[in-house]
Amino acid sequence: MSADEPPMEDQHNEREGCGGNAAPYVLGALTDAEHQAFVVHLESCSVCREEVAALQVVAAALPAAAPQVSAPADLKRRVMAEVREDARRQASQSAASRAELSGARARPWGSRLAAPAWLSWRPNLAVAALAAAVVVLAVVALSSGGDGAGTGVRVIRAQVLPSHARATLNVSDGQAQLSIARMPQTAPGHVYELWLKRSAAGPAIPTDALFTVDAAGAASVGVPGGVRHVSEVMVTSEPLGGSRVPTLPALIVARVA
Amino acid sequence: MFNPLRPGGEPSAAGLSVLADEELMQLVYRGQATAFEVIYDRHADAAFSLAYRMCGQRALAEDVVQEGFLSLWRSGARYDRGRGSVRTWVLGIVHNRAIDALRRRTVRDRGRISDEGIEERIAAPERTDVEFARRDEAREVRDALEQLPDEQSRVIELAYFGGLTHVEIASALGAPVGTVKGRMRLGLAKMRMALGDPTEVVQ
Repeated sequence: MSADEPPMEDQHNEREGCGGNAAPYVLGALTDAEHQAFVVHLESCSVCREEVAALQVVAAALPAAAPQVSAPADLKRRVMAEVREDARRQASQSAASRAELSGARARPWGSRLAAPAWLSWRPNLAVAALAAAVVVLAVVALSSGGDGAGTGVRVIRAQVLPSHARATLNVSDGQAQLSIARMPQTAPGHVYELWLKRSAAGPAIPTDALFTVDAAGAASVGVPGGVRHVSEVMVTSEPLGGSRVPTLPALIVARVA
Repeated sequence: MFNPLRPGGEPSAAGLSVLADEELMQLVYRGQATAFEVIYDRHADAAFSLAYRMCGQRALAEDVVQEGFLSLWRSGARYDRGRGSVRTWVLGIVHNRAIDALRRRTVRDRGRISDEGIEERIAAPERTDVEFARRDEAREVRDALEQLPDEQSRVIELAYFGGLTHVEIASALGAPVGTVKGRMRLGLAKMRMALGDPTEVVQ
């Protein structure tokens, strides 16, 4: 070993048996104490790390050797019932904190996962984004839509940036559904995200409505929380997982009030 | 015409099904249940098959799969795409859960395979290329395992599917611990060759 190499690497010692532990490790066959010791050992032993990486490929294929049976349908019902309950709780929490923070977005699972600093809400950027959004509105201004006649349903024609695309916001009793047609497919790694504005000058508030369009470019998206106190509904294209600050230009803008 | 209002505004499972697992995990991380449902649908059969093979009991296998998927839902952020596919990650979680469940059982309960009428899925029409490729892979893996000398396939099966430690296997077979570890290593290395990864395992 030359003096240039990292001093703590390559603690491999065949006589102490570390080489023999890679196979039982990938099979899950070490005792708890051995497992913990081996995990620590791996940090300093590149030989064992390589062996583990090589054998893990095989261990990862082993489930395919089990006879393949179908998971019971009631198992899915049980799992999804818990998942949906979690999601509902999370949605009501984040709706509450959205209202409190007027625009700041709650992370899923609250404080369990600290948001990276670069994701924190940046009002200055939001203001810049809005200023630009207004410009986009002026550029793409088409028609502003009219009311459905006497049905209690208002149909608002949205302003749409992509040529050929159409979008309408159907409002009934404070609830709203955005119906989209002939939108382009999202770019790889991107989704459409729906935003709300409480006033023309206010910030764009992110929602949890992330969506893609079908092969015909169609989608129908409920506006989370409805539009009772909303002046505009916006759609942007964002990286998967959505954003907290809209990426311009806004592709769809529907003016509610 | 006017669609029924859908509170919550989540994308439909059909809309999400075009996304890759890795993309869906980003949505799962944000707490989106429908994205999780798509992940569940894609991998629940493989997960249940593994758990059932290990536990030998339907009820225990269901518990293991349920615990595994719920822990995945609640800790979706821990998925690291640098460390393999979502499927491998899911099956790894289920494997660990099943080992825990097996090791909690008494020694007498172990290895008692009670088939409660779950039949192997008979060649359901292979609708997708993915399913077709998986069936091929399953056949290859089974062949590779069966072609090993008995002493090697036995220690691998007892460890991976039986949840036994190498110490327990050594004592069950009356063989030295070092011998058992050696058979595991040799067997896995041969399978690796058979499965088409010819890079030599470190000697």
